Amino acid sequence: MSELIQILLLGLALGGVFALMASGLTLVFGVMRIVNLAHPIFIIMAAFISYWAFTLYQIDPLLTIPVNMVVMFFVGIAVYKTVLARGVDKPGYVTITVLITFAVALTLDGLLGYFFSNNQRVASPAYATEAIFIGSFFIPKAQFYAAMVSLGLIGLVWAFLKFTRVGYAIRATTQNRSAAQLLGVNVGQISTFTFGLGIALAGASGALMSFLFSFFPAKHWEWIAILMSLIVLGGMGSLLGAVVGAFLLAVVSAYVSSFFGPTWSPITFYLALFLILLIRPEGLFGEKQEAL
Amino acid sequence: MSLLEVRDLVAGYGSGPSILKGVNLTVESGQVQCIIGPNGAGKSTLLKTIVGLLTPREGKIIFKGQEIQRLRPDQVLQEGICLVPQERALFPNMTVRENLRMGGYMLRDRRLMEQRIEAIFDRFPMLRERSHQKAGTLSGGQQQMLTMGRTLVLKPAVVMLDEPSLGLAPIIVERIFDIVRLFAESGLTVILVEQNARKGLEFSDWGCVLDLGKTMFDGPADSILSDSRIQELYLGKSKPTPAPETQA
Amino acid sequence: MSTDNLTVAEIRGQRQVSVIEKKGGGKKELVIIGILLLALFVYPLLPVVTGSNHNYSLHLLLFAFLYIAMASSWNILGGYTGYLSLGHNVFFAVGGYVSGMLLASFGLSPFFTWPLAGIAALLVGFGFGFITLRIRRGPAFIISTIALLMLIRILFDNWEFIGGSNGISLPLIDLPVQLVKIPFYYALLILAVVTVYSSYWIKQSKIGLGLRAISQDEIKAESAGIPTSFYKILAFAISGLFVGIGGAFWGQYLTYMRPNIYLVILIAANLVLMSILGGRGTVAGPVLGAVILIIINEFFVSQFGGSELNIVGTGVIMLVVLLFFPLGIVGSLRQAGKLPKLLDWD
Repeated sequence: MSELIQILLLGLALGGVFALMASGLTLVFGVMRIVNLAHPIFIIMAAFISYWAFTLYQIDPLLTIPVNMVVMFFVGIAVYKTVLARGVDKPGYVTITVLITFAVALTLDGLLGYFFSNNQRVASPAYATEAIFIGSFFIPKAQFYAAMVSLGLIGLVWAFLKFTRVGYAIRATTQNRSAAQLLGVNVGQISTFTFGLGIALAGASGALMSFLFSFFPAKHWEWIAILMSLIVLGGMGSLLGAVVGAFLLAVVSAYVSSFFGPTWSPITFYLALFLILLIRPEGLFGEKQEAL
Repeated sequence: MSLLEVRDLVAGYGSGPSILKGVNLTVESGQVQCIIGPNGAGKSTLLKTIVGLLTPREGKIIFKGQEIQRLRPDQVLQEGICLVPQERALFPNMTVRENLRMGGYMLRDRRLMEQRIEAIFDRFPMLRERSHQKAGTLSGGQQQMLTMGRTLVLKPAVVMLDEPSLGLAPIIVERIFDIVRLFAESGLTVILVEQNARKGLEFSDWGCVLDLGKTMFDGPADSILSDSRIQELYLGKSKPTPAPETQA
Repeated sequence: MSTDNLTVAEIRGQRQVSVIEKKGGGKKELVIIGILLLALFVYPLLPVVTGSNHNYSLHLLLFAFLYIAMASSWNILGGYTGYLSLGHNVFFAVGGYVSGMLLASFGLSPFFTWPLAGIAALLVGFGFGFITLRIRRGPAFIISTIALLMLIRILFDNWEFIGGSNGISLPLIDLPVQLVKIPFYYALLILAVVTVYSSYWIKQSKIGLGLRAISQDEIKAESAGIPTSFYKILAFAISGLFVGIGGAFWGQYLTYMRPNIYLVILIAANLVLMSILGGRGTVAGPVLGAVILIIINEFFVSQFGGSELNIVGTGVIMLVVLLFFPLGIVGSLRQAGKLPKLLDWD
């Protein structure tokens, strides 16, 4: 029994981080119906920033979070404006954006691989090998800090969406784009901003990834399928859905990993994805809409 | 000078054929004007073009002396023209109160906005009861009331209503028109597109008949109502045929 | 040599066109294509007769044939129907492993077992299509194809019976070195011809019209009575069939099978790019795209060696095409009214 609880704890800790990783992705989809296949490569890009900061200058990865977020915010806006902003309201936009983000992912994958090679890397600050003990259970410090930071950030994002004027505009655009326009929302600006925000969240996730998982550029393909399964389960466009989906699947995959071995844990996500599509394509909190 | 003037407007969707083929419209400040006409005549398209969801291919839209045909919807709203569209314009996952707040998005004064929301709750206790309910769970009539109440938060100079009573039970329709009257009494200029032509015209000061993408008739609402040709063509059941333009 | 590839490929395609009654002539083009196609069929006899080593060109040509088949195949779902499969090499792996295992375990040549590979691919197509294609268009399908690819990759990497991540080696055909590629050359050439012809046939058929309706407006197609789910699943299965058969031959050709040859995203990306570059939804597009991309790839590898820059190149070309030539070469030319008859196979 206690072993089961231990696994549950580890799964929950992981869930928090997955939620942060998926949050940017689902936000962007909600506002612009863009499926950003390049999201994970941006996470990895940010992971490199934190990795080099730690390895070369001994800066704790957690401290790089604000920097990552700012840098990636602007990277996101630049990418959006150059390749995604054209043809926003034309038909077939959703399909083309998938291909465009796919191509961006390929390009960045290749560039990162070329300049930094595809060796596995991980930053190892002191807490990466320490653990926190709660009674007879433990959580590695790294996971714990990461989970706390993730939940904190998601909380901030949630509050931002709920209480600020821009947050209202983002939610309105997600739920009814034309009505938002008719009430004075500049949906073009909101889209650009939200994309930047999504990539900024990827930036924060990257800082966490740098010490939680060993990473290398080509790994982003694994991550895209995982993150997608989370948000499809939760309902694409729903922040709450991403959080719930992340926790659910992280816990399940923790059990799978424990009973069948870590090689099989990614399969949890892929199978979950197929199952959801079979049973309830709009996910837990999504709306039955055209563009799933 | 008229508040709003539309001159020889030509517009269509995408690369498709022109729906509006030369529409003329004049709206005076404080007026309630009703636009009628058969389906496909371009009434909704006209409103969408005025508000900026569509860019006209030819023609001008002049509001308070300025040409606004190239503006985006949010800019048009800034100028003072608001469209309440035919399709449900609510944010289903936001509460009633949050929807009303979105109505006041363009208002920079937070306190003013909350004041107006309270006033709307006073007027519509039904909305106050449901202020924390998600808008998507309201009934059709309640949703329409919320949509129209939202307009009262912003109080734009001109409100354009696209078939506000569509799909609603007669009792609710009465309530809706009460609200439209409220708009007029509050000093808003109202442009009304109404499927129920007779009712719409009875309610309005001025009328405009749109057919085949052009303005066919326009004049005081009661003259249009009593005009036998219009009665036959548009208020009866016969198929519309092109009729000579009249200026009443 | 390079220019030979280009004209030869187009011409090979035109040859099938001449087999069916095509209105409006274009006789001159058909004749050219017929002759050059004949040249293609005859070319491998050179090493047979003279004993000289043409292995580099044979390899390049049959590599092209393989990709022409696979890209045209992908196009049936991705181009005609508008559903993008980003993990299409799953079929390649399935077909490859089915024939490969039969060869390794029972000594059966893929030249006999390729129908089984094809059937396996069809089954995967129907099964997976059933799960993911019954919902209306949306990114969910695209993501599922990536997930499927990842899933199969993990499965194959860990399945000891098929060699796991180390794969298995396969015996070669018993022929002298300069002739050993020839059977594969013909197999893949025929596969390419058949695939492109089938692609043409499907496009003209009732199903093809239905697919095109689906790609333009699925709701309208549904209300017009088209059985959209069935058509989509069928298109997916067929689009996998030829890829699977190609995989069947490829295994023995390489003499070994490993998951990281068959199941890398770059292959899927290239299939997508070939169709987009050439012209998604046209018959000639994938053919043209495949040939051009292979030439570019050969050039790149010979100048810069194989490295991550390949991936960058693929990504950049895809971006350029998507942003500036979304209709691809054939599509753009046709829109400008400048499409040479040689490329107009629709």
